[in-house]
Amino acid sequence: MTFAIQTDTLVKKFRRVEALQGLTMTVPQGAVYALVGPNGAGKTTAIKILMNIIHSTSGRAEVLGIDSHRVRGQFFESIGYVSENQELPEWMTLRTLLSYLRPFYPAWDTKLEAELIRQFELPTDRKLRNLSRGMRMKASLASSLAYHPKLIVLDEPFTGLDPLVRDELIQGLLDRAEESTIFISSHDLGEIETFASHVAYLEEGRLRFSEEMNSLIDRFREVELTFDTPPTMPQKTPQTWLQMNVSATVVRFIDSGFDSQRTRADVKELFGEPRNMTFSPMSLRSIFLAMAKSARGLA
Amino acid sequence: MNQIWNIFRKDTRHLRIEIAASLAFLVAFVWFDIRSWNGINFATGAAAALSFFLTAEALPSLVNALLPISWIFLIVRVIQSESLVGDRQFWVTRPYDWKQLLTAKALFVLAFINLPLFCADAFLLAGAGFHPTHYVAGLLWMQLLWIVLLFLLIATLASVTRNIPQMLLLVLFVVLYMIGSSALSSMVRKSDLSGGVDWWDGLLLIVVAITIILMQYSRRKTALSRWLMVGVCAFLTVAAVVTQLIPSDRSRIAREYPSSSGTPPVELGLIRSESEGNYTPVYDHEVSFVLPLNVSGVPKDSFLTLDGIIVTLANANGLHWDSEWQGNAQSFFPDQKTAHVAFRIKQDIFDQLKSGPVNARLLLAFTLYRETNQQTFVVPAGEFQMPEMGRCTTETQYSRGIRCLTPMRRPGHLLVTSETASSTCPLGNAETPAQHGVFARATVRGGPGPAEMGISPVHQVDISLSEWDWSMQRPTNPGVCPGTPLILSNPEVAGRRSLELQLDNLSLEDYRERLQTAR
Repeated sequence: MTFAIQTDTLVKKFRRVEALQGLTMTVPQGAVYALVGPNGAGKTTAIKILMNIIHSTSGRAEVLGIDSHRVRGQFFESIGYVSENQELPEWMTLRTLLSYLRPFYPAWDTKLEAELIRQFELPTDRKLRNLSRGMRMKASLASSLAYHPKLIVLDEPFTGLDPLVRDELIQGLLDRAEESTIFISSHDLGEIETFASHVAYLEEGRLRFSEEMNSLIDRFREVELTFDTPPTMPQKTPQTWLQMNVSATVVRFIDSGFDSQRTRADVKELFGEPRNMTFSPMSLRSIFLAMAKSARGLA
Repeated sequence: MNQIWNIFRKDTRHLRIEIAASLAFLVAFVWFDIRSWNGINFATGAAAALSFFLTAEALPSLVNALLPISWIFLIVRVIQSESLVGDRQFWVTRPYDWKQLLTAKALFVLAFINLPLFCADAFLLAGAGFHPTHYVAGLLWMQLLWIVLLFLLIATLASVTRNIPQMLLLVLFVVLYMIGSSALSSMVRKSDLSGGVDWWDGLLLIVVAITIILMQYSRRKTALSRWLMVGVCAFLTVAAVVTQLIPSDRSRIAREYPSSSGTPPVELGLIRSESEGNYTPVYDHEVSFVLPLNVSGVPKDSFLTLDGIIVTLANANGLHWDSEWQGNAQSFFPDQKTAHVAFRIKQDIFDQLKSGPVNARLLLAFTLYRETNQQTFVVPAGEFQMPEMGRCTTETQYSRGIRCLTPMRRPGHLLVTSETASSTCPLGNAETPAQHGVFARATVRGGPGPAEMGISPVHQVDISLSEWDWSMQRPTNPGVCPGTPLILSNPEVAGRRSLELQLDNLSLEDYRERLQTAR
């Protein structure tokens, strides 16, 4: 399998603060890979290292098979980068920006450009400084999609946008998903869940996990056990059981390694046969809340 | 090439107002410069309209200042259009080639600063009556000087700053550094003798500036670039201080000005004097002295300049004092009978020596010049061509001298000599006819290279011949009028020599500098 992005024990220190603490991850080609995590987790730092905007303290990273230190100049013909923090040339209108950028990209598709402008309903004659935040984000995305990049990197693109604009952005991205790898950082889990194929969770500079979205959703379940009499709490429970909660005759927990047969067997062994046992699927948001809470509990 | 042109077009469009302002200042400069050659009063015409807030003289000066400022602003703006500082600029994740980006910026500066300046200079030359095609090398040299001495340094500062406020802050730091460095240097300075390594400083600055620009464009290592700047400034300061602290004056004079063996370059003798009048005030804890000297023995067609002096004083009580090198600018010509050599003594030393006689030893360092290409030039009436000077006229109203428009640069070294008695200028009411054998001189010295640094390639040079009349304690200026014969020559350095002058039983008090009163 080839990877669009690969990092190996990436460390970034800002004086005494360690923003990344040995980040190792792989983004398969063709994936829509979401890097999620709370504010300050190190998502933007990781992306800036990948885009060669800043350098890592140690470790290495590869983007489209090239060392991230060499990601510059012509190489950006294959990468579309959009960030909430990016400073656009605000004195330009969108039309000026696009006509300025066009000669930089041999693969620039004017038809696609027109299509994106229409799809995003972008005013081309208004100066970028006069556009709303959502419009600017869409303008930035349009200018980064029109040349069919192999890799689209988006740093918190949905922050502060209204739902309609988010939908438009996501749709614009999904339309390109077949031809590109999309790497997106966000803490907007609800949106991510709808289109990401892979998800990774970064917290305090460490990668907690990285896996396919379907597998993640499949392995997390909210388990509720109902007994006739208050059950005796076992001294030891499986490591995959999180947030164990007992209330009279009801036991609730989250199984982060759900397997229907094994979970049933474990319950039976530890509690005996319950009167009722339910397994409820969890949203991505619930999964991350559970992960974050249990991480804090461990801390 | 495509990228260079694309960036260039974008910058031109973005900075069109700044470009227009800069070109407007250039046009105004040309207009004022041409008018100044003709002696036009600026209170007329357009300047008069502005006179409610600007004096007539202030307007050309203001344009002179604003034009380079507009260039600086333009350079800063064009470089910061693709800021090299920070991690949020959109262009860093676009397929820019840094070499093409740098070329586009250089092209912009050439197109909107150098090219208009080149054209304006050619226009000024033509306006002054000099054919521009004869001075292409000089015009290009002027552009190079601007690039190396200003544009490069401004581009360096702009490449390590993000915006105009940051740039202004950095300029403030640079100004404070220069003031501090200069103050530190003068605090530790013991001698007027130049360190002689100034060109090394300049070369180092240019190399560092180019390194920083290349480093910023290729890698955007702003922190490293800034540290490099700080390091160079610190190095130059330390080097300047160390140079000042090394007491090398005597050994350097011995090396550069060998002592006279055989015939001395000039024979000097003290004129014993007991002059009257008020002493000049003590300045910077130093007391000033003037020794009147008899002068003889300067070879014909030659002259000497006294570059500096070291004074050694000793008295009967065993007090001994050596001065450091003290710069001087006295000239000694063959026809000259007397000269006045000035030096300074520390106040506390003088207080200890003034009560009794002292033995003084003066080490005088001379440069000997030989006059070459001597020719007689009789000043014509009206406008005339003067060798090496350009287009000239006599100026009879104020200085009674010659006013010339000189293309590109002043002559390397031109000595103009006139016997005062041969002046054809009519005598004024209080003037008496000049004596024969008294010469008045003027020297014109230009810088090296095919052109001098400046906005205009046309230099106005005023030659005013005067001779200090020691008996009358005032300058004599017989004037140059049509028909006055002048001797023009190009002095060339024929050697450097030092001379020791022993003066015993000197009463220092008698030679203190006194305030001059015109008679």
